[in-house]
Amino acid sequence: MRLLPCALLGLTSLASAAADANLTHDASRNTLPPSTFTPPPHFRNVNLVRNINLEKSYPRETLNVVIENIAAQPQDAYYLAFEPGTLGQIGGLEAKDKKEPERTGFTAEAVEDSSSYYRITFPAPLPPNEQLTLSITYSTLAALTPLPAQINQNDKQYLHHAFSAYAPSAYATAKQKTKLKLPTTDVPDATTLPASLNAEGKEDPQKQGTSYTYGPYGEQAAGALQPASVRYEFTKPLTHSRLLERDIEVSHWGGNLATEERHWLTNRGATLKTPFSRVTYQQSAYYNPPSSALKELRFPLAVGSADAYFIDDIGNVSTSRFRSNLREANLEAKPRYPVFGGWSYSFKVGWNGDLGNYLRRVKGGAGESYVLKVPFLEGPKQAEGIEYERVVTRVVLPEGATNVHYETTIPLVSATTGLHRTFLDTRGRTTLTLTAVNVVDDWREERAALVVTYNLPVGARFRKPLALCAGALALFAVSWVVGNVDVRIGRASKGLVGGRKAA
Amino acid sequence: MSAAPLHDIWDASASQPFQPTIGKNTQLTLGFTLLCTAVLLTGLFGLNNSLKNLPLYGIPASLAFGFGAVYMICAVGVYV
Repeated sequence: MRLLPCALLGLTSLASAAADANLTHDASRNTLPPSTFTPPPHFRNVNLVRNINLEKSYPRETLNVVIENIAAQPQDAYYLAFEPGTLGQIGGLEAKDKKEPERTGFTAEAVEDSSSYYRITFPAPLPPNEQLTLSITYSTLAALTPLPAQINQNDKQYLHHAFSAYAPSAYATAKQKTKLKLPTTDVPDATTLPASLNAEGKEDPQKQGTSYTYGPYGEQAAGALQPASVRYEFTKPLTHSRLLERDIEVSHWGGNLATEERHWLTNRGATLKTPFSRVTYQQSAYYNPPSSALKELRFPLAVGSADAYFIDDIGNVSTSRFRSNLREANLEAKPRYPVFGGWSYSFKVGWNGDLGNYLRRVKGGAGESYVLKVPFLEGPKQAEGIEYERVVTRVVLPEGATNVHYETTIPLVSATTGLHRTFLDTRGRTTLTLTAVNVVDDWREERAALVVTYNLPVGARFRKPLALCAGALALFAVSWVVGNVDVRIGRASKGLVGGRKAA
Repeated sequence: MSAAPLHDIWDASASQPFQPTIGKNTQLTLGFTLLCTAVLLTGLFGLNNSLKNLPLYGIPASLAFGFGAVYMICAVGVYV
């Protein structure tokens, strides 16, 4: 009963997904206007430490920078520069006051008429000659490339990451350092920079275990770049999700919260040099070496989740295991085939949960006002991480829900409300569709909680059974009318049952 | 984004989790019973198809069908 609409949904969403994916690609990467914007030189970076964490399949950068207002007026916006062409790949940018992490009110947004700046707005303007320590974190999607681009099935995979030893900045920087955190000590190549550049006269990079440090460097002008790159071993899949569609359906009648995720994954890792060999693959299954193929996806679900399913274009995928007990609920799903570099896999997973854990009646409300708290993003939890190019989360509220408000910490690119028609609906259910781009999997669960409030009047609550009831009653009325129509031929005579004796 | 801090509303409502009128475990029993009642009353109405029987059997039968169908579809996993 569930499969047919699911399949149809899958087909239609596949079509729309393709269209959407093109759209984002065009909008965010190819058609950005040329940079005409230059930030005013109101700040000076007194000290800057840039940490590039390469332990996962996407670089995660943390920039700790002491900034000083060198303008005559108080300033409330700091412009963060990126290397040209990377702005469309930046995701999850957050800024904080390093010294007072609980201070809120920092906002970050891409500058519209530029191709390489983010604007960070402070909660209060910074007076002249005052300093502020900013801690800025973000991830860059699709930034790592396998080198060599083709490997054998059991080979180690090496990734190449190009960066600038001087942090890109819109302002002059007095002192700075770039630190790399690598996953292994197997680093065949790292750009060596001459000691003359270094402020302490050391040759870069300085190695200490898996961390490589470039710098410290002395005074640099705004926009100074020093290209550098590193190549390191990373024999894990580079899982890239082109699109993730999440449906969260609230059912008051069933007391259920149904979640479904439709994934379109690609492994961005090194492609196979020779055609896939099943024998080699089967042999490696016994000693389980690290592999650049995506072999398993683990979904840690909320405790109490039930009825999990794992379906792809062909049908149910039987290589999955769902374990649920009082402490945890885990869905371990093995794709139908190992996803090697350059290969794609699309599938959907879904599960049910008790609505009582996610929905509360609003205290002080009229008894028909509800508050729902669900994760914006769940998805698999992989040691090497997953990057999502586009996440579309749709919250399907009960039919007739009004006054919908939402709140979430994740930066969104669009939010719309609409109607979704499905089983036993007369008017359609109120849906809230939220889209985010360039998301990585550390936004899973609690960090990106989505809170939705809505009203559900009593009339709307009983809409479904009463509509069915009215339909049935109409049928009874019709049957009474039709059953009592006199269809006998000839003149009707009273008192005769069946009318056989008439005429 | 809404102006009200919705997280606070969520925290303040901690004592009022949503309780469905009928739990997931009883949906099948209730839905089945109601649908059987609906069929039975429809049968009784069919035996004597008169205006007097329309409210007597028709209304209870359609009510039982309406609620029974909703609970039955939930019980089989299509949570509406």
